[in-house]
Amino acid sequence: MNHSEAVPDETIDLQVIQSVHRRRRMAHKRNRVPLWMLIPAVVLLVIVVVAPFLVSIYTSFTKLDQYTIANWTAAPFVGLKNYLSALHQGNALGASALQSVWVSVAFSVLTTLIITPIGIIAALLVHHPFRGRRWVRALFLLPYVMPVFVNAITWRLLFMNGWGVIDRVLAFLHIASKNTFWLIGPNSFWAMTIADVWSSWPFIYLMVLAGLQNIPGDLYESATIDGASRVRSFFSITLPMLRPILALALLLSTLNHFNNFTLPFMMFGTPPSPQADVLPLNVYVTSFQTFNFGLGAAMSMLTLILMMIPAFFYIRMLRLGEATS
Amino acid sequence: MRMSRAFGKRASVTGMAGLAILTVAGITACGDGTSAAGNSAGGTSGDVTISVYVGADTLDAQAQKDLFDKTLIPAFEKQNPGIKVKWSTYASSSEENTSLQTAVTTHQGPDVFEVGTTLVPTVFSTHAFHVLTNADWNAVGGKSKFFAPQLTMSGPSANKDVAIPEYMLPFALVYNKKLFKEAGIASPPTTWTEFVNDAKKLTDAGKDQWGTEIDPADSYDPWKINWGYTRQDGGDFLSHDLKTATLDSQPSVNALTFWFDWMTKYHIASPNDVTYKSTDAIKAFENGHVAMLVMQGPTLIPSLNQSAVKSDYAFAPLPTVPYGMSARPTGGVPAQTIVSGQDLAIPNYVTGAKYAAALKWIQFVTDPTQQKEFYDVYGYLPVNQSVYGQYKELQTPLIQSFVDAEKNASPTPFTGAWGNLEVVYAGVTNKIADEIATNSFQEGDIAQLLKVANTQVQASLQN
Repeated sequence: MNHSEAVPDETIDLQVIQSVHRRRRMAHKRNRVPLWMLIPAVVLLVIVVVAPFLVSIYTSFTKLDQYTIANWTAAPFVGLKNYLSALHQGNALGASALQSVWVSVAFSVLTTLIITPIGIIAALLVHHPFRGRRWVRALFLLPYVMPVFVNAITWRLLFMNGWGVIDRVLAFLHIASKNTFWLIGPNSFWAMTIADVWSSWPFIYLMVLAGLQNIPGDLYESATIDGASRVRSFFSITLPMLRPILALALLLSTLNHFNNFTLPFMMFGTPPSPQADVLPLNVYVTSFQTFNFGLGAAMSMLTLILMMIPAFFYIRMLRLGEATS
Repeated sequence: MRMSRAFGKRASVTGMAGLAILTVAGITACGDGTSAAGNSAGGTSGDVTISVYVGADTLDAQAQKDLFDKTLIPAFEKQNPGIKVKWSTYASSSEENTSLQTAVTTHQGPDVFEVGTTLVPTVFSTHAFHVLTNADWNAVGGKSKFFAPQLTMSGPSANKDVAIPEYMLPFALVYNKKLFKEAGIASPPTTWTEFVNDAKKLTDAGKDQWGTEIDPADSYDPWKINWGYTRQDGGDFLSHDLKTATLDSQPSVNALTFWFDWMTKYHIASPNDVTYKSTDAIKAFENGHVAMLVMQGPTLIPSLNQSAVKSDYAFAPLPTVPYGMSARPTGGVPAQTIVSGQDLAIPNYVTGAKYAAALKWIQFVTDPTQQKEFYDVYGYLPVNQSVYGQYKELQTPLIQSFVDAEKNASPTPFTGAWGNLEVVYAGVTNKIADEIATNSFQEGDIAQLLKVANTQVQASLQN
């Protein structure tokens, strides 16, 4: 028995533990350098996000308008008055902030629900090679690369009542009157949804296409050998494998649609019909067209609070952290 | 080892601080784009560079670029060695508002702002623009060189002016001579009763031909038309002391009711008009579907001259007697047009040599030669009175009709809340149009909505 053989097991364990701790400390030390290098980004975030956010909170408690804007730090403090006004129903201008929240939520959820199957089907169609595939892929991207304002103006013209193509086609097919109003009243919500679906489905298509390329082909081969049909393969292989990227796509799509400003702004003008008065547009009109910055800030804050609740559960539910990692 | 770690820590902290300062400095430098670029563009030391911010000519951007780059700026810089001029444009009133708000808040931005006459009260209410002294007025050529009605929108009183007229855009009635002839109408209407009767004759719904139009989805036309009618009917949107909103007054309710009656009661405007903006209405006129356009100014001329009605259109003053009346009621004024056009204003952050240079630029662009250039390129009517005697092209009946309309122009109430009123009024017309489109419009809705609007406008008045 040599000396090393005489070393008890406890000592060996201790050495192993110490070695592990040492490696961890070294790794931790190595990781310190990249962390402090994040400082410029953090400073930028503070300046671009945190500081304006704090200013917005402050503004929401003040009567900041055209009379006080030149010296905004001295705007009179009005407490919760702006918050109460934001929730007040039935103003002459448009929808209340609360109503606009629901319009935006309905719009973003509905468009995401509609574009998801469209995007998946389109991606599946062009996933496998065929003659002219790259042309079809390019064609699919057309609505997405078109500037939003061009899309909005085009759809405005299409939805014009009386002489717009939509009304003419509907009348020709005896589905609706030629004088169906799409840019005003309850239909304006549907007009906005249709226009947005047309322009945004390629986003889901792109994400799913990227996801499809990461699914190993041998999974399908095995499934085929096991006698699985194509439908079964789709539901048992494709969809589960797409889950992480699809979850991310749905989250991004919902948030993007919630923040859509240009489309309703160009399609309906300001102020739009209450049914199409999405929150970003409502806040914009309140803040920048009526110079009521305090009320606009309060509306933004209320939105943030309301949106944080579903966003929190949504991210937890989809386990976004796992998906992205 | 300890020293090395301490040094490392200090180095890290110093590094972080340095990076932070550099980042902040970088961002600050980016944010100060206007002044930095302005100073560097001057060339020799002692040069002053001013930046002017004007509305974009959406019909012919190249013509505007050529006007500024090849004509105006070279001529000005030749006349004023040591002063350089940069120019940029805003494409919409929304952008105009946002730029103004940014400049006022940050105390940096353009040195000369081109602002619409109805935005001048808002500009004044910010207290962020120079109040012009007599010396300032003299520097731009004196008040006497301008059309007097335009000066009524320069400030709340003669000694508190903040804006200098640049050009004017009086409104009028534009009508289709061919359709008038076909309907057997000899001359344009002078009362609103005649207007409705003529429009009925001009309307043929089967041919999609309408006597007139309304554009309730437009952000500005509705209040302009209805404010004029309200003034003719002896009312106003605000009390004379500017302390009380009167949007819910009877003349105001009558005006908006009468306007929507064109569609709902007299059927002289297409039911499709409920979604119309100004551009849609103009297009309908240019395609021969509408016989009379209300409240359209000389800027429409270039577009009309390229349309299907290029040889069939004419302008006339707007009627000035309310519907169903043979004369205006007591207190009614012959408001044919609002005082409309563009003014120039200089923010308070422009001082010293830059301020003097800005005034020189304003004097330059309001002098006859440049005013004529504006007319040639844009169709903008000169505010400099002497121009009309100097150029034969400006002595036509068409131009004279606008000049006559300008003489009867009524200034809108000079209050900082006017911008709010415009937007709130657009909200009302939009909601009424919404109700009409969905067959839920009921008598009394207009009065009720104007009452709500009145409360909102009242809250924005500075008492």
